[in-house]
Amino acid sequence: MTADATQRRWRDADGEHIDVRGLPPPQPLVAILRLVREQGDVGGAAVIVHFDRDPQLLHSELAEIGWVAERIDAEPGEVRLRLERVP
Amino acid sequence: MKTAAGVFLGGAASRLLPASIPFRFFGAAVAFHLLAWLALLAGADRFPRFSAGLGWPLAALHLVTLGVLVMTAIGASLQLLPVATRQPVRSTRWPAAIWWLYTPGVAAVAFGMGSGLPLLLGVGGVAVALALLAYAVLLATNLRGARGMPGVVAHGWAALGSLLVVLATALALAGAYLGTPLLGRATALALHIAFAAYGFMGLLALGLSIILVPMFALSAAPDERQAIASCALAVTALALAALAAFGVAPQPLRVIAIAIGGGAVALHLRLMLDALRTGMRRELGRSFTLVRIAWAALVASLAGALAVVLEAPLAGLPTLFGLTLIGGWLLTFLLGILQRILPFLASMHAARGSKRPPTPSSLSADRPLAIHFFCHLAALAGLALAVVADSPLIAALAAGVGALGAAAFGGFFLILLRRMRARAPAPQPCTTPAA
Repeated sequence: MTADATQRRWRDADGEHIDVRGLPPPQPLVAILRLVREQGDVGGAAVIVHFDRDPQLLHSELAEIGWVAERIDAEPGEVRLRLERVP
Repeated sequence: MKTAAGVFLGGAASRLLPASIPFRFFGAAVAFHLLAWLALLAGADRFPRFSAGLGWPLAALHLVTLGVLVMTAIGASLQLLPVATRQPVRSTRWPAAIWWLYTPGVAAVAFGMGSGLPLLLGVGGVAVALALLAYAVLLATNLRGARGMPGVVAHGWAALGSLLVVLATALALAGAYLGTPLLGRATALALHIAFAAYGFMGLLALGLSIILVPMFALSAAPDERQAIASCALAVTALALAALAAFGVAPQPLRVIAIAIGGGAVALHLRLMLDALRTGMRRELGRSFTLVRIAWAALVASLAGALAVVLEAPLAGLPTLFGLTLIGGWLLTFLLGILQRILPFLASMHAARGSKRPPTPSSLSADRPLAIHFFCHLAALAGLALAVVADSPLIAALAAGVGALGAAAFGGFFLILLRRMRARAPAPQPCTTPAA
């Protein structure tokens, strides 16, 4: 895994993934919102985010742009969220 | 699959203080803000040529510095530093106890200064000093265990060191009023001004900006090496100012200190402007207009400091310098940031246990903030005019306008609280570990 957030992205059956573990604030927030904006522009699928710690401001930022997050199962020590546009 | 955002923020809650902790500091700051303008109104006749001495202008100054700036800095740093340094909140009792000691202490200090009651000032000063020492312990504990964000941490340590100098010199100055001087008044005053405004409060403002400005602009984090270099320059400038305060080549060292401080500010502002220029969010509204004005005032304050050091022939120069530094830079910056961050904090707290949180914008109130914006800037301009024209009448009018703006800001805060409480879920048992 590299230190560049843009290289920690991949597509899977359940959506577009981004791994922001190890990044200092506010890099996780910025990287996620950039990806969410891209997905919104192309009408893309859900975004799956891999954290190593608690996302503090993401929830409020997502609410402002009409997205919502839900926590999904993850490996021990990881916080994984599924983000999708509010229907 | 766990579906509630409450679970999502349940994790976040480990670094999120209960709302009552930061909001009690912010609420007290909002109240002291209004009281500061009213104290200035009471002391308007002395304001245009104020430089020192007990009275309502000194009370107004300390209502702003202790009551608004430091009060907000404590609330914001208790909330934000665990996030930046990736640590859990260790205690809720200590922050609450600090508030209960600090808030009446500030009120006693201000009333003692305004009414010319040195004993009350002394008692309040001791309460404030004890509260700030306790805060310093909390801050040091957090910084000692910090992981990452070395630029923020460096600013935190420098601010902490400055706080100790501020406390020592404050007690020395209060001791002088009580007839027991502990340090030469000129030395104590010079150290107190430099280390309070540029040291403790200034470095906290610059350090927290490294987190907040990119967060609001949605930009990359500033380069850590440059942030640390800016901090190092600021600390060097403060050290030279301290030497000058003790009589070591006062004028040359102060000029050099201002030049080095200018370098620190230039580096910091370049990082901040880069963040704003490259951020995803370009429209930051009225709050960042205040922040930009504050940055301009920070630069102007250094020019003012140079004019004071070189004894430029302008009546009221020390007052203008203080107005630019405290009102123009620190207060304007803080009010700009505060009106931006409060809706986000309120949204985060209101979101606990709910699937979808209220949007920050739905919790804010634009009209009171618009009134505050124009009143605040008009009041500062009016005070500058009052100094230049040596007019107590203009000072009184400006203080009245400032009080109106502060009341409007208070209206914004009350609306925000009401909306946050209306959207908040039912209270749940607190599981945050105590100290």
